[in-house]
Amino acid sequence: MAPTTVLIVDDSRLARIVASKLVKQLKPEWELVEAANADDALAHAAQGRVDVALIDFNMPGQDGLALAAQLRETRPELPIAIISANIQDEIIARARAVNATFVAKPVTEEGLSGFLSGAGLRLRKLST
Amino acid sequence: MASGSEAGLERLSKLPAEQLQLALAAAGAVGTWDWDLVGGRLYADPRFAVLNGLDPADAAAGVDPSVLFARIHPADRLRIRIGVAGILEGADLFSREYRLMAPDGGVRWIQARGRCLRDKDERPLRFAGVLVDITEQKRTEERLRIAQSAGGVGAFEYVPGYGTAEVSEQFCRLLGLRPSKIVPVSLVNALVTCGGALFGPDMDGRAPGQIAHAEFEIRRPDTGALQWLARRSEAVSHGDTAILRHVGVIYDITDTKLAETELRAFSERLESMVETRTRERDRIWQNSRDLLVVLGTDGVLQAVNPAWTELLGFEARETIGRPLLDFVHRDDVETTSRCLAAAADRSAASFENRLLDRSGSPRWFSWTASCESEVVYANGRHVTREKEQAEALKATEEQLRQAQKMEAVGQLTGGIAHDFNNLLTGVVGALDLLQTRLAQGRTDNLERYAKAAISSASRAAALTHRLLAFSRRQPLDPKPVHANQLVTGMEDLLRRTLGEKIRLEIVTAEELWLTRCDPNQLENALLNLAINARDAMTAGGTLTIETCNTHLDRAYAAQHAEVSPGQYVCVAVTDTGSGMPPDVIQRAFDPFFTTKPIGQGTGLGLSMIYGFARQSDGHVKIYSGLGEGTMVKLYLPRHDAQMPAQASKPRAEIPWSPSGETILVVEDEPVVRELIIEVLGDLGYHSLQASDGAAGLRLLESDERIDLLITDIGLPGLNGRQLADAARLRRSDLKVLFITGYAENATISSGFLEPGMEMITKPFSIDALALRVRQIIEKA
Amino acid sequence: MSGAELELTELELDALTELVNIGVSRAAASLRKMIGVQVLLSVPSVEIIDRETAAQLIGTREDSQLVAVHQGFTGAFSGHAMLIFPEKSSLELVHAVTSTNVASEEFADLEEEALAETGNIILNGCLATMANMLQQSLTMTLPEVLRGRGPELFQIAGEPGRGGAVLFLYINFSVQDRDIRGYIAMLMDLPSLASMKLLVGSFIERVAGLDAGA
Repeated sequence: MAPTTVLIVDDSRLARIVASKLVKQLKPEWELVEAANADDALAHAAQGRVDVALIDFNMPGQDGLALAAQLRETRPELPIAIISANIQDEIIARARAVNATFVAKPVTEEGLSGFLSGAGLRLRKLST
Repeated sequence: MASGSEAGLERLSKLPAEQLQLALAAAGAVGTWDWDLVGGRLYADPRFAVLNGLDPADAAAGVDPSVLFARIHPADRLRIRIGVAGILEGADLFSREYRLMAPDGGVRWIQARGRCLRDKDERPLRFAGVLVDITEQKRTEERLRIAQSAGGVGAFEYVPGYGTAEVSEQFCRLLGLRPSKIVPVSLVNALVTCGGALFGPDMDGRAPGQIAHAEFEIRRPDTGALQWLARRSEAVSHGDTAILRHVGVIYDITDTKLAETELRAFSERLESMVETRTRERDRIWQNSRDLLVVLGTDGVLQAVNPAWTELLGFEARETIGRPLLDFVHRDDVETTSRCLAAAADRSAASFENRLLDRSGSPRWFSWTASCESEVVYANGRHVTREKEQAEALKATEEQLRQAQKMEAVGQLTGGIAHDFNNLLTGVVGALDLLQTRLAQGRTDNLERYAKAAISSASRAAALTHRLLAFSRRQPLDPKPVHANQLVTGMEDLLRRTLGEKIRLEIVTAEELWLTRCDPNQLENALLNLAINARDAMTAGGTLTIETCNTHLDRAYAAQHAEVSPGQYVCVAVTDTGSGMPPDVIQRAFDPFFTTKPIGQGTGLGLSMIYGFARQSDGHVKIYSGLGEGTMVKLYLPRHDAQMPAQASKPRAEIPWSPSGETILVVEDEPVVRELIIEVLGDLGYHSLQASDGAAGLRLLESDERIDLLITDIGLPGLNGRQLADAARLRRSDLKVLFITGYAENATISSGFLEPGMEMITKPFSIDALALRVRQIIEKA
Repeated sequence: MSGAELELTELELDALTELVNIGVSRAAASLRKMIGVQVLLSVPSVEIIDRETAAQLIGTREDSQLVAVHQGFTGAFSGHAMLIFPEKSSLELVHAVTSTNVASEEFADLEEEALAETGNIILNGCLATMANMLQQSLTMTLPEVLRGRGPELFQIAGEPGRGGAVLFLYINFSVQDRDIRGYIAMLMDLPSLASMKLLVGSFIERVAGLDAGA
């Protein structure tokens, strides 16, 4: 069975490092792909496998919510987390609207574990 | 919380309210609370309970959280609610001051500080805090505030890196800000115009207890005024962190600063003045076209300015260390060294000298030298050109004088020609008439014509005298003169001269002193003055001649260069005529200056009078103004001798030759020669004649009896004097009477004439000649 | 510093301060999560001043070199938020933030963006909380790191000459046991102070269960 691949999209390299580290701690067997913006992310999604997406909201170019919506068009079942320090109720509501989980920055193990576990479960359900 | 203290507090709560308050105040009560946000109960210690009017036991067991607000002063309650709401909504820190209503109705000031404790998901769990009774502190603060405000001291507390600082009201007042407890650092620093930031990095990195001091100029935002502040602060450790708080004060130092600034400005001004002076002096030294030299009192050059090289061609380095005298022209060495010594000695001197330039050419310099602390500073102005110009000017003046002389000669010739023509007309006219009458055989009235001719001729003679007087070569014949007699004697003549329209007044002083002068010249002078006066009074008037004794003192002499102080006889001639403007008075004594038309006067009148006065050691002065008439004062020196007896009239005793003496007459002018021969013949003398010196000498070298030689001095070839000398080789005691028409001969007569030699001046009267000849021959 | 024709009451100012306090507390909590130590905050100071005075303030002089993370926001109220540190503190902060995640050789490389991300988290946390409290939404720009002295930093923040009032807000913070201190400065355009009063009023009503006018 091919390993689960997590796509981390964030314009901040530090944010990607932190997110990757947490993912590795929580799901050591998962593979990681990083993208610095929406275009990069879409290219990855088109080329290879992306099983889980962690997407920063506030990015230059297309923002995370728009990217999520676009990914959702082709991947209705893709587990997506919108990660942002912008914890406005409105942003959280919009994340839910594209069927994405909102994770507040700074990302913590606790904050991310719920989403990753849920995503793992859903992936297993899909593959079976 | 120790159980002992809890027991104590329990006891406290049972005290009467008043005592309780006192006890709490004394204790500086601190109460604590712990609000379980999940369970909705509030736990508090007994102190909190006492302050909030709760039973300490209830408080310890947990009460409804609303007790927190129950005793808060109504005016503060809402604020505290909002603060607490903030905690519940996610705020970390609670810090409020408020008033609590004590059960007895008293009010206590409380400070509450609390923190919210949260779980991992940031959900609030507990809100715990401390209450402090700050009633006393408030009072202290108030006192401090008053003290600060009275002392003009503003307090602050600042942590470097923070955006705000806590300040006192007075702090804000000093900066001209609205009173506030917290001010943005950037705002405060924005006010500083000089001296860095008020809350600045200079405070950072100081050890605890260290005092920082700084001064700033700020512009007050309220008035726009500039103001100086000093800041003193101390670093104090900050409880939880390594961070140091800076606690300090600011105060106004504007007055001190202003004084400092003024002082600095003053000294800067002074410095700049000195600098300017120095620069100016350097510039003068560099740019001066004069020589500027510095010498030791030994005369050795210590410094020379660039003009030295420019004017003399010597470089400074080949000059310095040598005596100035090395460069001075041989003829000026003595003057220069004398004057330098004088400068060194008396501290200043001026002189002129010549320096030799590199090529050896002399250049004139006009020096001023002064000495100051053993150093002589000398400034030499280059005057070679000026000297040359002065010489050129002198030459030009000489030429001008020559030209003026020529012009004067023209004027004179014109004047003389006019006068002579008039006189000659008189002479020729009279002689013509005389001849006509003789031809007609009419002998009556012949004497009248002869007299007229003689009168005209006499005036012609007087004219030549005047000319000679002008040239000051008139041989004067000074003798004691009684001016009163002289003036009175002229009265008739003057009246005739003045005509009918002019009144003549003569005022003679009694006991007038004698004076000594040539009476003929004095008469001439008075006549001239009378004629001038007449011409100034065309419409008539009065001419006054006065005499008086006078004394010219030193003050008067000081103002008139040629006058010596002393006693004088004064003859003043005053008219009531048109007068003279100052410029005419100034030139009145100039020869040939005349206000009359050309040909009507020689312009010699006043000039002659001036010459006469000077030759007589006297003085003449004009007082006049346009329309005010003219007064001329003629001062003649007092003569102390007695008046000699008046000489008997020569006419009465015509000389007579008793023994047929022989007289040789040598005269180139035939008319004069014939005239003399005739006169001698009339006198009974035998005479010989010669027309030149050579012929005369031949006769003198012969064995002819010759008792007297009468010779003209100005003879062609051998002149009269040479003739006489040659004659005396053979006839050592030969008597000689020179005739001269030339001034030179007259003036040098004293040294010219040897014993037995005499002189008579042309023109002379027959009587005068006869008298002299007889006197000479009789002396034998 | 007065000049606003319509002033907030003391209570409204208190409420606004509390609002900021809540937002900053959230931001401080975020920072605490990132560096694992206690972050200490000061009581916020809030000044509402007219635009001219604000312009003067913006021309402020600050002698030390500063580092700031700037984020603009627009919405019910718009303005600029800045996290400002002395340069020394910023390095320390970056070090604290990255030390657990990044090898030291990568550190220099990351400094600028670590600052930006930290600032982003703090400022977003603060602003988003405030927006939530006031039940409004704000749009935030990408964070940018600015370096310079006071005026250079604030020039970005100020566009003086439009009238109205400016809300100046400062919260100082320091980090326990670390030489990290700085402050958050917020400049808010208040084209209508009246609408701000309304927002604050309803906030008071909500959080304190009281009528703001009471």
